[in-house]
Amino acid sequence: MSTHTCTHSIAFTGSGGSGAITVGNMLLQQAAKNSLYGIMRRSVGPQIRGGESAAMLRFSAHPVSCPDDRFDLLIAFDWLNAERFALEIPLDSNSLVISDPANGDVPEVITQTGATIIDVPLKAMAKEISGGRVNMIGVGLLTALMDMPADTAVDIITSTFSKKGEEAVKSSLDCFHAGYKYQLQAKLSCPKLIASNPGTRWDISGNEAAALGALQGGVRFVAAYPITPATEVLEWLSPRLEKIGGSLMQAEDELASINMVVGASFGGVTSMTATSGPGLSLMSEGIGLAVASEIPLVVVNVTRGGPSTGIPTKSEQSDLNIALYGLHGDAPHLVLAPQNITDCIATTRWAVQLTEALQTPAIVLTDQFLGQSRCITPVPESPGLPTSREVAKSGNDKVYERYVITESGISPIAVPGTAGCSYTADGLEHKTSGQPSSIATDHHDQLDKRQRKLTQFEFGDNWADIKGEGQLAIITWGSSTAAVLEAAQRLELTGLSVKVISIRLLAPAQTDALEAELINIDQALIVEQSHSEQFYHYLRAHYTLPKDVSVYAEPGPLAITPGDITNAVQQLRGQAS
Amino acid sequence: MIKPESIEDLETFLALAYLLEIESSDRYSELADNMKVHNDPEVEKLFRKLSEYSGKHASEIIEHAEGMVLPNVASWDFEWQSPEGPETTAFDFIEYQITPERVLELALHNEIRGHEFYANIAKKSPSPEIRKLAAEFSDEESEHVKLLEQWIAEMAQNKASTRDDLDPPNMPE
Amino acid sequence: MTNLAKAKTYKSEVKPIWCPGCGDFAVLSALTKAFAFLDLAQQDLAVISGIGCSSRLPAYLSSYGFHGIHGRALPIASGLKLARPELTVIASGGDGDGFSIGGNHFLHACRRNLDITYIVMDNEVYGMTKGQASPTTQPDWASSKLTPHGTGVRPFQPAAIALASGASFIARGFSGDPNGMTKLIIAAIQHPGFSFIQVLSPCPTFRPEQKLWKHQVEPFPHEPTDDPVKAATHLYTDDGMSSGLIFQSNYPVWSQPDVAEASIKQFEEEFIV
Repeated sequence: MSTHTCTHSIAFTGSGGSGAITVGNMLLQQAAKNSLYGIMRRSVGPQIRGGESAAMLRFSAHPVSCPDDRFDLLIAFDWLNAERFALEIPLDSNSLVISDPANGDVPEVITQTGATIIDVPLKAMAKEISGGRVNMIGVGLLTALMDMPADTAVDIITSTFSKKGEEAVKSSLDCFHAGYKYQLQAKLSCPKLIASNPGTRWDISGNEAAALGALQGGVRFVAAYPITPATEVLEWLSPRLEKIGGSLMQAEDELASINMVVGASFGGVTSMTATSGPGLSLMSEGIGLAVASEIPLVVVNVTRGGPSTGIPTKSEQSDLNIALYGLHGDAPHLVLAPQNITDCIATTRWAVQLTEALQTPAIVLTDQFLGQSRCITPVPESPGLPTSREVAKSGNDKVYERYVITESGISPIAVPGTAGCSYTADGLEHKTSGQPSSIATDHHDQLDKRQRKLTQFEFGDNWADIKGEGQLAIITWGSSTAAVLEAAQRLELTGLSVKVISIRLLAPAQTDALEAELINIDQALIVEQSHSEQFYHYLRAHYTLPKDVSVYAEPGPLAITPGDITNAVQQLRGQAS
Repeated sequence: MIKPESIEDLETFLALAYLLEIESSDRYSELADNMKVHNDPEVEKLFRKLSEYSGKHASEIIEHAEGMVLPNVASWDFEWQSPEGPETTAFDFIEYQITPERVLELALHNEIRGHEFYANIAKKSPSPEIRKLAAEFSDEESEHVKLLEQWIAEMAQNKASTRDDLDPPNMPE
Repeated sequence: MTNLAKAKTYKSEVKPIWCPGCGDFAVLSALTKAFAFLDLAQQDLAVISGIGCSSRLPAYLSSYGFHGIHGRALPIASGLKLARPELTVIASGGDGDGFSIGGNHFLHACRRNLDITYIVMDNEVYGMTKGQASPTTQPDWASSKLTPHGTGVRPFQPAAIALASGASFIARGFSGDPNGMTKLIIAAIQHPGFSFIQVLSPCPTFRPEQKLWKHQVEPFPHEPTDDPVKAATHLYTDDGMSSGLIFQSNYPVWSQPDVAEASIKQFEEEFIV
């Protein structure tokens, strides 16, 4: 990536079915067809229909994974309850606001930002067109503002509305053209985005990406219980699993889900489920059973605002504690976290491969931001073939011992249907044969075995992504990574080089590897989206950190922006000198 | 469900007789295992002896059946007077800390039932061959009854065993 | 090999820890006889349980097994059956495991009608944890320290609830009638769909009065029916101390829809703009 490039951050707000989200989706696709990149988030009110909605987009000539500090443009289809989004759509004196005079006065919360308000009679224009909708005019306005050609928009509009009939297509196109031709007396603060590498693009959400990664890793059974914001993972998988010989069962609750996954995996089929914080709490016992009985499984946890019911539609990085420490007993297991939407594919795939190899459950921590945002991404690399677990074979003279002590800690697992290696899996502590045991040596041996599986394994370089060099390291994880990387770029331009370390494999902690990265580091800044500094405590517990450590920790629902981080670093440096 | 006294062919009768003894023997063996798990070697030994005993009777039935091909009969196809075979100790007759005296009482009860079982067939069977053989088996069972009565008498001469567990029940899980 | 000799091969060398006189011995015996009669290959048989005395059962069999967590035998068994439909899957456990913590899964398993057999050994007490009331305990049983005045709560009606939840095979067995149980288990395994057998299985240690059951349990006084209305009447006019097949009907068994083959590559292509 080159130096800090200009990006366009655009927001559409509307309510009562004005179609803000549809606009966002179409513009994202349009950007892709013009060889640009983009990311889109949505924010909605609590109503199922007719509520307030906001589509928040950021476009760039290069892959972009996080929101900017501010928005260049807000197009408001109406001002009903718009204050709801005020904090999420930060505007300033360089921003533009397109407002329809028919909607009355612009709310003070918007005007006090100093943004330039431009009146565009959207409703009047729409009225002139039979079946006209204001949101399509918005598409036209933005296409012109971003200096994108009309033809890609026309193609997208045509294919989007073709199902609704010719008239719908015509009125949408007429509205588009009305907006496209409108002489807006304003320009975006950044120049036109110049596509740098043409080629095929994907339009994908984090939830879809995690689901795809799971299939690529070999998952063929899913037990599902819907929960915001994870449901799309399960919905994407359901019709597709059955097309490749797998299946999805909607369970009666999360307790059933996790235990069905245990049963299916015991049966030899790679299995997973997806949930969010409240569901993960329910699944703790089942995950612990998988640790004790050494059954592979993956739980994708799409973190939302917590605690308890929290804020289901907003993002936060506050499930780290329960993912790492939520199992009773000494229960070593895997915790991984993708860093951006595209990484949800590879990291979930890796989690599946690891769980099958190590016969230990894996929790993949994504979040609402990753899960429900869509982004334009280059086509990801093709995965290899799925790996499979080490199975026991029949025809051995020796009596099969399911939990035999080995150097690696991994013991071959018998798959039902295989003659000569029947065993009873158990959550009770057991001997090497699997028979329950309360004897001290058996417990110590099995505890050592289950831990050794993880500590002896060579995880390779993907445990973290490291970028840059410097005396200051910014350590982060998950969706905060993108903002940190962008902040690092901006700091580089001011002459400050920092090293960014984003940890992908959170458990087992790769202590030596991180400490090697921190050798020449005097100062560390920890960045996370958690009120109680969960990541910071995790780092303190498992790694030796530099003497000078500061923490930038903010809970959801607002995203951490690159500007937040550069400010934090500058404050640090201010203190230092 | 077949009434044992209406069996017409010798092979089925012998198969049933064999089943009766072998089920009895297997059951005593299971009960011996149960006693072993509950750390009662004295009663375990007694059950093992009874198991051997029934096993011997089973082998004797097989000798009678030399040269014949016996059908594979299922216990539940027959209308026993008891829930299982006449010489099979029902699981619920056993209790924790059962006394050896009680075990022998149960075994005697089994043998008496066995005797009555064959006596009934000896009277009612439509086949003269079966009636003859059943009468023989009935007599043999009388011998078993006498033997057990003898064991009981011998045991009564020794001091009766006392059983007492001062510990309360455990909570293993 | 005789049926009886074959039945012994389904037992593992692990000896049950159940108290002498426990009804569960008869269930284990009946299961092995049923397996032998059906000539089930051991490697294609899996017995799944939860937590409790009766949930120890899988380790006493030489087939595949899973001693899972409290109340979750049915979901584990369901997941296994969905992943491996060709296996014979038996779920088992006690009345606490199945009707208290596992109650919700019981309702939905009856509805779902996967081809699984579920055997609950009902002794109207929590034996493993030293004798608390269970959902099937009478409200005035006052011998537990946790409920010294009795629960005061009317008991759970397993067979009636199974019927209302849509189970397609409902039977009651009694450990005092092992041969009867064997026949019920054979029918249950052969039945396509979810088969539920509630087995009255006395606990000699914490419910010694249940020794009287063998004088009280009678054959179920009605012919098995496939009419749920008739079955409901039979169940509601029965005192629960009876054994036999109560209800059997052919409801659709849950199965995977047969859909055309596709590849992951095709799914990837769906993302292309």
